[in-house]
Amino acid sequence: MKVIFLFIFSPKTVYFCRFCRGFCSRGRGRGRAQGTRWQQGQLKEECQDESEPRGTCMRMCPDRELREREAQKRLHRFEVLPGTEKDRLPRADPARTVKEYSRPAAGKDCVRAHDLRPPSVLLETVCYLIDHVAVSPSLQPWTEVYDFVFDRLRSVRQDMIIQRTSGPECVAVLEKTVRFLIYASYRLRDEPLRLYDPRINDTHLQESLSWLLDCYSHGQHPHQEEMQALGLLYNLGSNRALQHALELPERVREAPAIRLALAVNRAHLERNPVRLLRLARQLDFLQSCALHRHLGACCRDLLLLYSHAYSSRNCRFPLQRLAHILALEESQAAWLCQAHGVTVDREWVVFSKVSYTEAPTKDLRGLHFCELVDSKREAHCCQDHPWMCLRLAIFVDPCIIFPISLKLLIVGGGVF
Amino acid sequence: SDLHCCYKEKCQQVLEPPYDEMVAAHLRCTYAVSNHDFVEAYRCQTVVVQYPLSRQKDGSVYLLGTHSAEQQLQKKGKGKVGDMLEKAAEQLMSCFRVCASDNRAGIDDSKKWGMLFLINQLFKIYFKINKLHLCKPLIRAIDSSNLKDEYSMAQRVTYKYYVGRKAMFDSDFKLAEEFLSFAFQHCHRSCQRNKRMILIYLLPVKMLLGHMPTHQLLRKYDLMQFAEVTRAVSEGNLLLLNDALAKHETFFIRCGIFLILEKLKVITYRNLFKKVYLLLKTHQLPLDAFLVSLKMMQVEEVDIDEVQCILANLIYMGHIKGYISHQHQKLVVSKQNPFPPLSTVS
Repeated sequence: MKVIFLFIFSPKTVYFCRFCRGFCSRGRGRGRAQGTRWQQGQLKEECQDESEPRGTCMRMCPDRELREREAQKRLHRFEVLPGTEKDRLPRADPARTVKEYSRPAAGKDCVRAHDLRPPSVLLETVCYLIDHVAVSPSLQPWTEVYDFVFDRLRSVRQDMIIQRTSGPECVAVLEKTVRFLIYASYRLRDEPLRLYDPRINDTHLQESLSWLLDCYSHGQHPHQEEMQALGLLYNLGSNRALQHALELPERVREAPAIRLALAVNRAHLERNPVRLLRLARQLDFLQSCALHRHLGACCRDLLLLYSHAYSSRNCRFPLQRLAHILALEESQAAWLCQAHGVTVDREWVVFSKVSYTEAPTKDLRGLHFCELVDSKREAHCCQDHPWMCLRLAIFVDPCIIFPISLKLLIVGGGVF
Repeated sequence: SDLHCCYKEKCQQVLEPPYDEMVAAHLRCTYAVSNHDFVEAYRCQTVVVQYPLSRQKDGSVYLLGTHSAEQQLQKKGKGKVGDMLEKAAEQLMSCFRVCASDNRAGIDDSKKWGMLFLINQLFKIYFKINKLHLCKPLIRAIDSSNLKDEYSMAQRVTYKYYVGRKAMFDSDFKLAEEFLSFAFQHCHRSCQRNKRMILIYLLPVKMLLGHMPTHQLLRKYDLMQFAEVTRAVSEGNLLLLNDALAKHETFFIRCGIFLILEKLKVITYRNLFKKVYLLLKTHQLPLDAFLVSLKMMQVEEVDIDEVQCILANLIYMGHIKGYISHQHQKLVVSKQNPFPPLSTVS
């Protein structure tokens, strides 16, 4: 029994392959396909278990865990009942306590139904996490908010995996997760490693994204175009992502978001950074967040190409023009040039094949693509939700199918 | 079930164990295939496959036979293709490990002869389920084997075909050309279909290296989809190239070569710009001329900055010998051989 749960906890079954002396995964397709098959009742011999577990916990956090963490003083500060923070034993606020992620391990008890949240509650949990925690201006610092939301979202996904969820709630949860992680990848890009690890964020983002894209292969989904485009931009330069997008049905591929994302990818394929950066101006805020991690490399590539093409003794290139092409402020453009060995002489850039260096001599974390990313925040917020004049308006889903239910809050007993 | 007993008895009369059970299972399999019951056929095959794993000494003769059937039903399996393929791959992998680690028998009896066959089957599956990274350990195994040139030509051709395709996917075009050319040249004359399949992948690679196929070749192998693409690239006609790619998009995407053909745009730019150079007969070419040529090809939203970038890319890659002067807004090319032949570049 335990072994089976270990198997289904992780999205991929990982086994140690003697052959390549590494961990090989059986891939998501298999796991998800099994999930769908469960519900269609086929291949009964595959399942060694009786039936898929169905959660019955109607709160964001199962009672048992709430009491346990309260007693062990392991509540997060966002979960504590206001007014009891300084007590010897702070009380949990049932309306704000969320089930945390716990690593599955041999020797742990089997998961019980009343510890699992059904899909509808999972979606409500995610809505709470995004709309009331991630977006909240009063919760600081954001790295702490990120850690909390990241962990709780992971626990939501864990519940979904155990219950082999699929369907609109699953899709909605994953969409919000992907949006959050993409935003976080931009927002926290300058944070030190001890506070934010971009690689861990990337791993979870890729997993959620590929799970989501898997779900999209069956049925109609209103946000598919948006998410496919985000995936394409985040994975710029990946042949696999590009091939996947080209194989989408024509109706989907013709959507403006995907066409733009494909055009950006094509510019990258052709090695045309000028075109790429020009197209990038047309992306909206979240799309720019998805793309931004590649912008540095694009700029670098441009400097490399120009170092070769303009490498002549009397050649001078106007800094202003370069800054415009790179969509950076002049001072930033000059700084980037110098970091790559490109000489800047007042308002002129002197390219030279010989002096260009690939590895930047300075830490590039101070680079700010204001025009390409930051400035779009406000625009995004105003056009979708003017009443939420916040940086993170992107998370409120205009087509929300499952609004936060009051029942949840009443059952929780808290006054919200 | 009557039939099964019947098979088994007959086999026991004629053959020694365990061949009798293996052949019986194989017969059941063929019976199932003829009834289009591929799931049952697969189950029978699984039985057959288990035998080599436990045998002490043996040749890979029956491995060759059984796996063709297994692969057939993988192709035709209904619905659960992905999963069945992965399971089949696991079975094959375990056979492969047995073969690879066979150090006991002499070279004639060694199971190592079965390795390349199994690897080819595994490649087929990995390409189908799009998990190309799993090919790497297999390639390493063959590279380090001392039998690699001793296998039959047919197996080697298949192997080179898949490895060539993998190299293409990894953008290693020189290597891809080497492997695919080998496969094409050594593929038996009568296997037109196979030759065509190899050509589908060899053509884009050759075109990227500057070698355009002749019309005769395309007509011979029924690959006229490439005809317009070829013409567009050699003429430097971007408009025709975009049209040709759009027209046969489905075919190219299905074969997985669409993205590589898009890379031909760079070659097309080079050919177009060479025409501009030949027209203007000077080695100090105004950038505006190139912009006009691109606009004539109906390239959307192109401006002088982008022209400079495209030229910069061509200079960087060695397709143009020269430099750009921003002050004079001119491309200054070398007086000698400013557009080196494509085959000499990278």
